[in-house]
Amino acid sequence: MSTIDLVVTAIDDSVPGVRSLTLAHPDGTTLPSFTPGSHIVVQCGDVANAYSLTSDSVQPTQYDISVLELPDGKGGSRWIHNLTVGDPVSVLPPRSAFAPILRARKHLLVAAGIGVTPMISHLRAAKQWGRDTELLYVHRPGRGAHLDDIAALTDTARIFTNRADFLGVLPDTLAAQPFGAHLYICGPTTFIDDVVAAATAHGWPQSRIHFERFGVGALDPGEPFTVKLANSGTTIAVDSGVSLLEALEAAGHNIPNLCRQGVCGECRLTVSSGEIEHRDMYLTDADKAAGDAIMACVSRAASPELELKL
Amino acid sequence: MGEQRQLEVSTHVKPALELTSVPPWTVSPTLPDADVTGATWTVIAIGPDAGPVVDTWTAQVTAAHPSAPVTVHRVDDVSSAVAALDADLTAASVGWRLMVAGPAHACLKVRAHAVRHEVADDEMTFASTEVDHRTVLCVHCGERNEAPVGIEDVLPCAGCARNLLVHYHVSRRQGAYLGYQVDAEQLVESA
Repeated sequence: MSTIDLVVTAIDDSVPGVRSLTLAHPDGTTLPSFTPGSHIVVQCGDVANAYSLTSDSVQPTQYDISVLELPDGKGGSRWIHNLTVGDPVSVLPPRSAFAPILRARKHLLVAAGIGVTPMISHLRAAKQWGRDTELLYVHRPGRGAHLDDIAALTDTARIFTNRADFLGVLPDTLAAQPFGAHLYICGPTTFIDDVVAAATAHGWPQSRIHFERFGVGALDPGEPFTVKLANSGTTIAVDSGVSLLEALEAAGHNIPNLCRQGVCGECRLTVSSGEIEHRDMYLTDADKAAGDAIMACVSRAASPELELKL
Repeated sequence: MGEQRQLEVSTHVKPALELTSVPPWTVSPTLPDADVTGATWTVIAIGPDAGPVVDTWTAQVTAAHPSAPVTVHRVDDVSSAVAALDADLTAASVGWRLMVAGPAHACLKVRAHAVRHEVADDEMTFASTEVDHRTVLCVHCGERNEAPVGIEDVLPCAGCARNLLVHYHVSRRQGAYLGYQVDAEQLVESA
């Protein structure tokens, strides 16, 4: 994948803890268009992080992202919070994993915290094309991001600064959506799980529920296991606290990867035998049940040995 | 230009049904359990044989949700089934489920109507009480042929008299099997 070399052209730190960054080509040329809900992967020093695009999606001359600073994270958000205008930033072209359904009767957008970012490009496109949307956004008091954008893009938004108030209106909102509506959820994992559970309890089928996870919680170090490579017959030990991806890399194998947190799908490997403990958010339930694919960055063996077609 | 082309004749291999667009319930009579994950239900019985299926479904739904809003329609044909579906769909919210029991060819037509109205696959359940009859859409003249034919059988088209092969393909939006002329490359015997 070819990277795009951009520079920081504007920084907005007006929301505490959240930095909105405008990136553009040094000579101002048009950047690749993208589907609403897309993200770019930003090379933040040693780590690569995915951030939703909040700017205009058609023939853009800039990419806007908003980044919540995570003081205890791996350093990606801190790297962004240390940038200044004019600094170079390398990104991968937009990737779409949270696209609107163009034939949907309505989009119900439900976001928590910085999870509002993909909803902003959804709202932009919905306004442009006259699509029906409804936004529920819950954030901590004083920490609401993109509130001006929301006010400019829709008059159906309901904004909450209290989780209980949000949970109070959620059931009725889920029960009252016209047939043909689709639900989009973005926020912390527990928030997504709660909203999905509420939707399912109100009869929403899986095909109408879409979510994008971020802020992956730290995974436990896991049990040690050995991995056997089918082609060479080599055996590699994967210690507790070391990922399968890291162990393979240490043994000299070049495995394509991006996010290293079980989201992007790049490091998928084929498993020929052994039980898998799936810990990723990329594979579908059916993929996981099939048991022949593993996301090497987060998932581990559930049996003492795993054999890879590698 | 002197190159001689060798025509390769491949031996016919039947595709695995699950890799085609043919729903398994149109090949063998299938009576699935009710989908109890919804919030409201429209249940349609097409023809007398579908009655007991619908009774079973209604019992299953009410066992899972004692006060479940289940609307049951018992009809004789596809057009009445479609009219019942339309009436219920107008007022439906997300959480609505459609369950239809009847001859497979009738169920396919109801499914096509539902698909055109954005009903998703995980919102529809079908039980087939009979799978012998098929609707075969002629790709040449557009005629819909209703006949007791199997997949890979040949039937003359009522519209254009071509000999149609019933192909391993069901159009979701047409609710019919695709039929194409099986002998298009045979010379016509001249009198």
